[in-house]
Amino acid sequence: MTTDNSDSVKELRILLAAAPERVARASSVAEIDAIEADLVGRASPIANARKGLGAITDADDRRATGKAINDIAVEIKDLVDERRGAVASDEQNARLVGDAVDVTLPGRRPRRGTHHVIRKTMDEIIDIFVGLGYTVATGPEAETEFYNFTALNIPETHPSRLESDTIYLDYGDKDEEILLRTHTSPMQARYMEEHDPPTYVVVPGKVFRSDAVDATHSPVFHQLEGLAVDEGITFGDLKGTLASFAKQYFGSSTKVKFIPHYFPFTEPSAEMHAYTNGQWIELLGCGMVDPEVFKHVGYDPEKFTGFAFGMGMERMAMVRHGITDLRALLDPDRRVLEQYR
Amino acid sequence: MKFTRSWIDEFVDIPVTEAADLAEAFESLGHEVEEWKILEPAFTGVVVGKVLDVSAHPDADKVRITKVDVGDEVLDIICGAWNFEAGAIVPVAVPGAVLGEDFTITRRDIRGVTSNGMICSEIELGLGDEADGIMVLNTDYPSAADAIGSDFAKIVGLPDVYYEVTVTPNRPDCLSVYGLCRDLAALYQVPLRPNGIEVDPSGEPNDVTVVVDAVDQCPRFSGRRVRGITVGPSPHWLRWRLAQGGVRPISNVVDASNYAMIEFGHPTHAFDVERLGNSIGVRLAHDGETITTLDDQERALLATDVVVTNGVDPVAIGGVMGGASTEVRAGTTDVFIEAAYWDPPTILVTSKRLALRSEASSRFERGADPSFSTLGADRVAQLLAEIAGGVPAPSAVDVNPGNIEPWTISYPLSETERILGIQLDSTTTSNLLERLTFGVTGEDPLTVTVPTRRPDVERPVDLVEEIARLHGFDGIPDSVPSGPGGGLPFEERRLRAIREAVVGAGFYETLNFSFIGEADLDALDLPHNHAARSGINIVNPLNDQEGVMRTTLLPGLLKSAATSLSRRTPEAMLFEMGKVFLPGDGKLPEQPDRLAFVLAGKPEPTWEGAAEGFDVYDASGIWEMLCDVLSIHDASVRQEPIPPFHPWRSAELLIGGVVVGAFGELHPSVAAAFGLQGRVVGCELDLAELVIDRGPWSYIPPSVFPPVIFDMAFIVDAATPATDLAVVIREAAGELLEHLNVFDVFTGESIREGEKSLAMNIRLRAGDRTLTDDDAAEVRRSIASSISERLGGELRGDL
Repeated sequence: MTTDNSDSVKELRILLAAAPERVARASSVAEIDAIEADLVGRASPIANARKGLGAITDADDRRATGKAINDIAVEIKDLVDERRGAVASDEQNARLVGDAVDVTLPGRRPRRGTHHVIRKTMDEIIDIFVGLGYTVATGPEAETEFYNFTALNIPETHPSRLESDTIYLDYGDKDEEILLRTHTSPMQARYMEEHDPPTYVVVPGKVFRSDAVDATHSPVFHQLEGLAVDEGITFGDLKGTLASFAKQYFGSSTKVKFIPHYFPFTEPSAEMHAYTNGQWIELLGCGMVDPEVFKHVGYDPEKFTGFAFGMGMERMAMVRHGITDLRALLDPDRRVLEQYR
Repeated sequence: MKFTRSWIDEFVDIPVTEAADLAEAFESLGHEVEEWKILEPAFTGVVVGKVLDVSAHPDADKVRITKVDVGDEVLDIICGAWNFEAGAIVPVAVPGAVLGEDFTITRRDIRGVTSNGMICSEIELGLGDEADGIMVLNTDYPSAADAIGSDFAKIVGLPDVYYEVTVTPNRPDCLSVYGLCRDLAALYQVPLRPNGIEVDPSGEPNDVTVVVDAVDQCPRFSGRRVRGITVGPSPHWLRWRLAQGGVRPISNVVDASNYAMIEFGHPTHAFDVERLGNSIGVRLAHDGETITTLDDQERALLATDVVVTNGVDPVAIGGVMGGASTEVRAGTTDVFIEAAYWDPPTILVTSKRLALRSEASSRFERGADPSFSTLGADRVAQLLAEIAGGVPAPSAVDVNPGNIEPWTISYPLSETERILGIQLDSTTTSNLLERLTFGVTGEDPLTVTVPTRRPDVERPVDLVEEIARLHGFDGIPDSVPSGPGGGLPFEERRLRAIREAVVGAGFYETLNFSFIGEADLDALDLPHNHAARSGINIVNPLNDQEGVMRTTLLPGLLKSAATSLSRRTPEAMLFEMGKVFLPGDGKLPEQPDRLAFVLAGKPEPTWEGAAEGFDVYDASGIWEMLCDVLSIHDASVRQEPIPPFHPWRSAELLIGGVVVGAFGELHPSVAAAFGLQGRVVGCELDLAELVIDRGPWSYIPPSVFPPVIFDMAFIVDAATPATDLAVVIREAAGELLEHLNVFDVFTGESIREGEKSLAMNIRLRAGDRTLTDDDAAEVRRSIASSISERLGGELRGDL
């Protein structure tokens, strides 16, 4: 005698046979949940059958009947779960359709402005020299006549000291004129006074000249000064350093040439020209630091040599970005500023 | 220096044919070429002709009929000019010739007579301004007589090449054609031809005496007497060269002096001897003495000026400008040509004080060649003999009390390597220096004799420059030394972090001028005792609107914002970092670095709706963000009416109790004064406190225990700042407070007039345990009682 054929199990088999059709008819997760409760829930025939197990006295019989009930329950549960998965997926898909948006509409983007191209230029050039082991110093824009001219070996009578070239301030007791520095070079002297060699420093900053604004002039512009003083620094070091800079800034194929020039604070002096965008362009002034400058700051000119250079940031930016009129760099127009990425 | 290639060719044969190559050569010598261009004749088909006969026209009395030999034929040409007769050598445009762009000469009938071409004037040929008569070549170009029928362009030296080079201030010796030729000769290693200065010694002896008292100011005074001149126009070849040299021809006497100056570099001056007398003195001026100079200005002199006198009174300001009383004029026949060497600083001081910079003074202040003075006068005398019928005295006057001689420099060969990084042996070095006309003896050190024309060469390093220049910078191998490192200083890194944060918040950086005007401060409506009112004046401002150094960055930014908005682009969010200038105690003005920003206009609407305009919370948000970026934990905001801001929407910014700046919405009148509408937000602060190195931040491990989170709302006086509530809550909650957030501000309805409700979300958490309800209740009680005691605030709802 087997318990397989017990009434309750038979009933359950009938239930199981009808289940696929019922489940398949269900079209929502809610319906399936109801069917599940009906078939295998607390008050379902399966639950009832399980409750009846206790009445079966024969242990083997009870075990076999229990297994049969369980198998049927698992089969029904699988049927229900499978259908629920499919229906849930359909329902979710239907919801997603309702969620549709035009993702090509402009995004909600965080604002972002720009650094001025002159500042970017400065930072980039500073970083090149930091990579060569230089540090950075900045100095006063309102400067004494001594540091701007005298300490740089510029004679008392030099025309650049005239009011037609230099902007003077009505300040102080007039023992010494206060002016707006005409170059970043005063920091050469200030830095050397404060630091012993080896001295490898670049000085970025604002400089001033008594010039009206036009396509190539502005009364306020920016320079970057460089100074390398050590034992054994030569003109070859100057050439190599500045050529390396030009390649890093304008591209590795940039050619440069040095032609003789004159500055009161360097000897020999030169101008570096670079070949870029199909033409030779005057890029910067440079030279070996004049012994007189060393004497002013207390460096021994017999022991130390050094080179200095100065370049206009406006010029660098204009050459690299194809700006032909300096006034563009003064323009606060959003359409200009937006380009300074 | 402006000149033509043909003038160079007079003194040196250089192996250069391409005009561009010569430009490059000048550059390699350190003489920057500003411009060069080929000078082509402005005509074709013009030949040299000889007028054989001149006769009247039968039917016209304003023109004449000429028979002109043009080599292979004799042409009848009608000519309207009357400044010639038979025998004249003239330029003839034969039929088919083209003048200027497109004026083609043809045979044509003039009142019944055929004219077979045109005899030309200077202006018709583009060779000068002279339009009154045709060019007569007999005296101006004697060689033309042997070239009948040949191309006229060759006679005037066309085509030619025009150069303009800038000579650096240290090279006065190159302010002449001959000086540049000397440099070219050194470069190409070709001989420089002798200067060719010669004076016919057959004239009457000199009768002018010179006494130099001001020896320091006038180390050498030379001159040459020339008699029998006829003042008139210069020949065409001379005028043409002066014109190419950028000098306007005036008369043969003046032109000769200018020509010689461009040619050899030494300024000279001609005195009318009839008016000068026979005595010349050189002395310092007396204070208060006056002279009327050539430009008809009366000049008051000081004892620092040196003058040339007629023995008594000044007749010239030495080295600067001649006097009107002895000026050469029409009818002058006897002159004395002065060629002195003046002390450069003396000339500079005088010309600067008198604001009188002449070509002569600018040369003397850089340094002329004292050894050339007699030759300078001689060259003018030679020219006057040639072009003005002058008869020079057989000997020059030369008073040389300064006796400036060439000097020597001891040059150790090691200097070359020390400065340039290359080794050059004694022979190579000597050779380079000798090519530049330095005298060299010895092996190592070399003894180098420097000619007096090179005042820039005094030290071994000056010779290094000469060696480098001629050896060529290309011959020095490159090397790249590395510095000891150091990188970006802390302050620089902080400034970059600040800029990056502000840019990241949507602001565009601008760089405005450092100048403002009184009107800008008026526009800001700052009180008269405001610190920004004590700006430092500029002595020589570019214009009246920019006469003061800026004391605030706001005007520049506000003007930029207004400009930007006027272009009909979206909202302006601008910032600037830069210095302002304030009076201080030191020698230099205080020059603090500031950050300022402005927000103006209205962001454009998006598809989600119209954007809000800006208000004061945009400024405070940036301030809070900056403090976060810079790990500044002791920052605070204190509501105050601060000009130029809205009195009820402005505040001071503090770090550790120190005021570092202010922000707010601009006072509407101020915004309007800058042409801005709506709420405009601004902020300006000193960066010094922000860039201080506060050391690295220290890690705080986040508690693993759960928080207690609750809200509390208080009714306080409407004027009580939220920040005061926050301070009290922080103190009352103590260490357990993890986070505090104001989430609601409410007035009206159930809240009494003059009061407001502030609601806070509070998160408590302990580091070592899970907080209990009792813990939270205790903190709530503590907060409520503190708020009540210290701010009179009343808790809304139950504890």
